[in-house]
Amino acid sequence: MTLSQIAKHALTGLALSAVAVTAHADTLRVGMSGGYYPFTFVEQDELKGFEVDVMNAVGEQTGDEIEFVTASFSGLAGMLDSGRIDTIANQITITPERKAKYAFTKPYVYDGAQVVVRKGNDDIQGVEDLKGKTVAVNLGSNYEQLLRELPYADEIDIKTYDSNIEQDVALGRADAFVMDRVSATQVIKDKPLPLALAGQPFSRIENALPFRDNEDGRALRDRVDDALADLRENGTLTQISEKWFGTDITTP
Amino acid sequence: MHVLDLDYMLGLLPILLGYLPLTLEMAGAGMVAALVLACLLAVVRVQRMPGLNALAMLFISFFRGTPLLVQLFLFYYGLPQILTFLVAINGITATILGLTLHFSAYMAESIRAAIVGVDRSQTEAALSIGMTQGQLMRRIVLPQATRVATPTLMNYFIDMIKATSLAFTLGVTELMGATQKEAAGSFLYFEAFLLAAIIYWVVVEILSWLQRRLEKRLNRAYQR
Amino acid sequence: MIALNGITKRFGAHTVFENIDLTLEQGEIIVVIGPSGTGKSTLLRCINYLETPDAGRLTVGNLSLDAKHATRREILALRRRTAFVFQNYALFSNKTALDNICEGMIVVDGLSKAEAHARGREILERIGLADKANAYPASLSGGQQQRVGIGRAMAAKAEVILFDEPTSALDPEWVDEVLALMKHLALERQTMIVVSHEMQFAREVADRVVFMDEGRIIEQGPPDELFTNPQDERTQRFLRKVLANNPI
Repeated sequence: MTLSQIAKHALTGLALSAVAVTAHADTLRVGMSGGYYPFTFVEQDELKGFEVDVMNAVGEQTGDEIEFVTASFSGLAGMLDSGRIDTIANQITITPERKAKYAFTKPYVYDGAQVVVRKGNDDIQGVEDLKGKTVAVNLGSNYEQLLRELPYADEIDIKTYDSNIEQDVALGRADAFVMDRVSATQVIKDKPLPLALAGQPFSRIENALPFRDNEDGRALRDRVDDALADLRENGTLTQISEKWFGTDITTP
Repeated sequence: MHVLDLDYMLGLLPILLGYLPLTLEMAGAGMVAALVLACLLAVVRVQRMPGLNALAMLFISFFRGTPLLVQLFLFYYGLPQILTFLVAINGITATILGLTLHFSAYMAESIRAAIVGVDRSQTEAALSIGMTQGQLMRRIVLPQATRVATPTLMNYFIDMIKATSLAFTLGVTELMGATQKEAAGSFLYFEAFLLAAIIYWVVVEILSWLQRRLEKRLNRAYQR
Repeated sequence: MIALNGITKRFGAHTVFENIDLTLEQGEIIVVIGPSGTGKSTLLRCINYLETPDAGRLTVGNLSLDAKHATRREILALRRRTAFVFQNYALFSNKTALDNICEGMIVVDGLSKAEAHARGREILERIGLADKANAYPASLSGGQQQRVGIGRAMAAKAEVILFDEPTSALDPEWVDEVLALMKHLALERQTMIVVSHEMQFAREVADRVVFMDEGRIIEQGPPDELFTNPQDERTQRFLRKVLANNPI
């Protein structure tokens, strides 16, 4: 960092002068949190994960340059809405509300919502035992919505987090967290946290890529949808899934 | 019992340090711009410039009265939906802009208080020998106000460094964002965030040391 | 020549003084005496435009201005022709003794730093503080600070130096050195107006003593006459009271 750099930024800060944005037609800007193992995470400064592999494969198929943009999960929707990214690859589940707002591709991951507890906690055997418990979910995720739709939602203390829900359950601050079964299994298998699955998945979920619901967004969506279909056909999706999960999560 | 993974921390250190320059650059640029803006606002307030004074008060009221994160979201995500050209502002610029606006409001009030706190006799003495308002501001009042305001302003700078961690919500991977992502990859939360805390701490300690030296220098004239 | 014609000052509804006339020749030394709160200091401050007069005319040398409607330029010109010594010294606390003296020469008169410093050191020599050039006000005694204050006024090369009770904030031990310096200036025929309670000084140094009471000049004249044979009853009462406490 040099003084002139500081001065330059200070001036831009002051003058609100615009910096040209990289909005080439052949660059697909993909937002993700970088904090959702094993879909998107960083190791040794390198962005990795299932989503990264899928999007790179999509890019190879369409010929688009893939530009990954990482931001807090809570910032991603804003980035998509304000046109700073073109889509979000972060296991976005299709919900009626989101479907009304965004143009989604066809699902590329099929999964279920899974309750996870601290190892040794036998009180909770499934979603029906969450009554009276503190349950952690990611802020802005659809799991919060799923919990609120339960008939006994009033009796669940739902805590929303920007990140680190696994840590808080491991520490005992929350009794359980809810995330997709696939990554929950993965977390328990790979990470040194005392966690266990509680019961069976309780809701079928389909994850897809959202685009802005306008002409450009829909055109882009169609292009990516075609690529996903090709990748499904030639086995690439299955292959990527096997690599990260040891099983195929890309088919129902 | 979870044992601290020192090897992991050692490996992570150079990676996280790689993001420190961006953190410091955003805070440094924000500080310079905020100081300039704060001085202007303070002078407007002190001189009670008609019209401008009311605007300055509104500005200060808004940017002190709302959380920085709300302001960042408002400018980065909200406004571009109305004023589409604002999309051209990237996350780094938006963070610097947010820090500038937010902290200048606080700093303006400290600077104003420091200016007002300079003894009236200093102004009269300067006027009596024929200095203009500008000259006496520049040569007598502001240097004396600087001494009074410096500790507070340095505290704001330290706050600003820590506030850059909000940039990750705007898609800027700085020290905090990098830590979050690395922790997500390793699940070694304690190690990763401990390391980030230590880095912030060391930086702030270095600054505090500089601050003490600066204050000593500025107080030179006031030793009996 | 310095002339005040019909100078009037009000603070809100309160009239401090009205229609004051006063004329000084070059080299003349005037001491203004009178009870506290009669507007002596305010009058002095009007001459330096630290207070804005409400009416009247101010003339200093070849500059003459309508006191109420003076332009910014006229005010600056007036201030360059008049120098002020404050009761509480009012030295620039962020500047050394030398820089306090040189500040006006550099900023207002546009002298180079080297020229200003050379003249500044001469002045320090004359006020007996050559060894304190680099000392900050906080480290100087009250007497030393006031001498620097006078040095700063001397540096302005003004047509008149206005002294506003220059010794009344001083501990008694420092009063003499300040008065000695003022006497020294008087001997050099520096034009000055001194507001003071130092009757001994007035008697020794003044060419003319002006007695003010309740916003008016009651009586003025050479110190021998005014002190020994005051005409007005108010002057007599004031002098009786003051001289009873501090016989000359």
